[in-house]
Amino acid sequence: MAKTYDYLFKLLLIGDSGVGKTSILFRFSEDAFNISFISTIGIDFKIRTIDLDGKKVKLQIWDTAGQERFRTITTAYYRGSMGIMLVYDVTNEKSFENIKNWIRNIEENASADVEKMILGNKCDLEAKRQVSKERGEQLAVEYQIKFIETSAKDSLNVESAFYTLARDIKAKMEKKQEASNPAGARSGAHQIRANEQQRKPTSWLSRCSLL
Amino acid sequence: MDDDLPTDFQVIVVGTGMVESIVAAACSRIGKNVLHLDSSDHYGGLWASYNFDGLQKFIKEVNSDPKRQLQVYNLAEKWYIEKESAQDEKKEEGGEEKPEEAKAEPAKKIWSQANFSAEYRKFNIDMTPKLLFSRGPLVELLISSNIARYAEFRCVTRVLTWLNDRLMPVPCSRADVFATEAVGIVEKRQLMKMLTSIVGYNEEEMNNEFKDWNDKTFKEYLAHKGLTPNLIHYVLYAIAGGTNNMPCLEGVKECKKFLMSLGRYGNTPFLWPMYGSGELPQCFCRLCAVFGGVYCLNRPIDKVQTKTVDEGKTVVTIDSKSKTLNCDHLVIGINECPKDLISPEPAESSDISKAVFITNGSIMKSDKEPLTLLRFPPQSDDDHAVTVLEVGPATGSCPKGLFVVYFITNKVKDAESDLMGIAEKIFDMSGGDQTAESEKPKCLWSLFYNVKDTSAAVASVADCVHVCSGPDAGLDFDRAVEQAEQIFKKICPGEEFLPRAPDPEEIVFEDDVTHGPEFQREHDDEAEGDAPKE
Repeated sequence: MAKTYDYLFKLLLIGDSGVGKTSILFRFSEDAFNISFISTIGIDFKIRTIDLDGKKVKLQIWDTAGQERFRTITTAYYRGSMGIMLVYDVTNEKSFENIKNWIRNIEENASADVEKMILGNKCDLEAKRQVSKERGEQLAVEYQIKFIETSAKDSLNVESAFYTLARDIKAKMEKKQEASNPAGARSGAHQIRANEQQRKPTSWLSRCSLL
Repeated sequence: MDDDLPTDFQVIVVGTGMVESIVAAACSRIGKNVLHLDSSDHYGGLWASYNFDGLQKFIKEVNSDPKRQLQVYNLAEKWYIEKESAQDEKKEEGGEEKPEEAKAEPAKKIWSQANFSAEYRKFNIDMTPKLLFSRGPLVELLISSNIARYAEFRCVTRVLTWLNDRLMPVPCSRADVFATEAVGIVEKRQLMKMLTSIVGYNEEEMNNEFKDWNDKTFKEYLAHKGLTPNLIHYVLYAIAGGTNNMPCLEGVKECKKFLMSLGRYGNTPFLWPMYGSGELPQCFCRLCAVFGGVYCLNRPIDKVQTKTVDEGKTVVTIDSKSKTLNCDHLVIGINECPKDLISPEPAESSDISKAVFITNGSIMKSDKEPLTLLRFPPQSDDDHAVTVLEVGPATGSCPKGLFVVYFITNKVKDAESDLMGIAEKIFDMSGGDQTAESEKPKCLWSLFYNVKDTSAAVASVADCVHVCSGPDAGLDFDRAVEQAEQIFKKICPGEEFLPRAPDPEEIVFEDDVTHGPEFQREHDDEAEGDAPKE
């Protein structure tokens, strides 16, 4: 099957319930905002392919499937992720405080070199704001993570946030490839297919997923 | 936070083991309103994988509170290496070593306990390590339900056996049979003929061919067919995974299962889940959550009652953390299930002896990182076979330079007495110099333990309470899948079991999946000449 992209990045959205992770996902993947969905039912991940410096980068962005609600995200969710958007709601102090807990969770479960970014969402709701932009920036400095305030509703900065994260992952990956042999994106990350197309054996050690 | 937890559900599932998780996913998938709980803070129960830190906590928990009935006992952990690294000293000593050996390979890392702690996250150690047959029910279910997208797998690269006091590769596929130097040309034809006939039998032919063998063993059948002792060893112990007492028809069926799974994904019939078997229950949980299932860990249950309400309908009420939860159906793991719900008490069955070893090399050297299944034949006539699985860093099981090796068998005395003899055959258990050249890899750490065999199906006191079995000693997940489907059918009669979940978009992964040769039925003598050589 012909490849339609140069890179495939698995990205995750993480943060408390109700901070707008799914809205951000829909804004970015569909350019839509639907105020009616309250919790994340039936949404697994979304795909959007973007162009970065002439390369086609396919972003596979995974939603939490509501498993963040009682802090029960599976360790499997973090496997193979290359970038994580940590999302809080600027109108919800608690969701901001919990960012630290989510970072701890990521450190425990995700790959050590995963790229992270903090998003302060719902910045259109200025009247209800509980967390100032400065506090967000300060937290980001503390953890040395990039930070941006977004509004999925007004389509503010969502696009640029994903481009920034993708660009950082790409830069890191290219640096790694230069340092070692060009092993390709996520060397050996493969999925097994159900339909048994005839393929020539390339190596006896293959890593695969069933598809 | 837990106060937000809704109280009324159609199905409540307690325990996140394999069977419970499959049932949860299946119910949620067809639109049932599902709550899934676990009393501990992680997924999987006895099916879990732990990083090294998590495993230490688990050991402490079991040892400090045996009354908690974790189903695990005789837990014995042992280190064969120093607490702190003595690497610097050793380097100086290295000068005295024979120079020709020293330059041949880069200096081996000297592991200390501190290194293990520092890299604890890179370990994923399974409590219930299992393989998937490439055409087995779990692989088919993962594909048909589209849950496969949550997991990644590696092919088992080789099957080994213990023959004439040493490790030997088992020729599995047609090409292997022709390529092997372990058996002579006449034996090769014999073996091919036997395997080809077994793979070709349909149900009717099988019953016909074996109607006189009902009370005889597979071993007797193989001997009757004139197979040499070497070939009997390969077919009975390595391919069928049997013992001397294995009934004939069972042996034929096991052989066929093995052969039918060849050639789909790799050179052996088996797949191993990346990051360990403990990932798989989580994949089903993810699907359950995607379709609206509510998840809550760290949520022990106190009391379960069934109540008959109007019109003879029965509901289950569960007390948990001073909250009362209601459901039409309760699905509960045997280890979380209050005794009074089980009827009758399950019969005492033989328990399971298990061991985990961390070593500094593979049990048998290989060009590329191997992923090995070794079936250790029974040492005497009424002894059990031992299943050995060796996984390396490429599977996400351990840091570079190490291997994790699992032993599983039926308990006779206790885990250590049952398994230590075999460990000594394939590992250097002396705890000596890690850099010393030796045939066998050094064992750096070991853990022996026994687990209650809770795999027998158990009936409950009420129709709306469904008890899920614990892990069995078998190689695959087949029984778990089968039981989950049965439970689902009882809860949701007439509904489809895990229909395909839609794709958000067609996902295309870069893909270089290895396809081994298909096992072909027709016997083609010409193929002998151009059999692929490794």
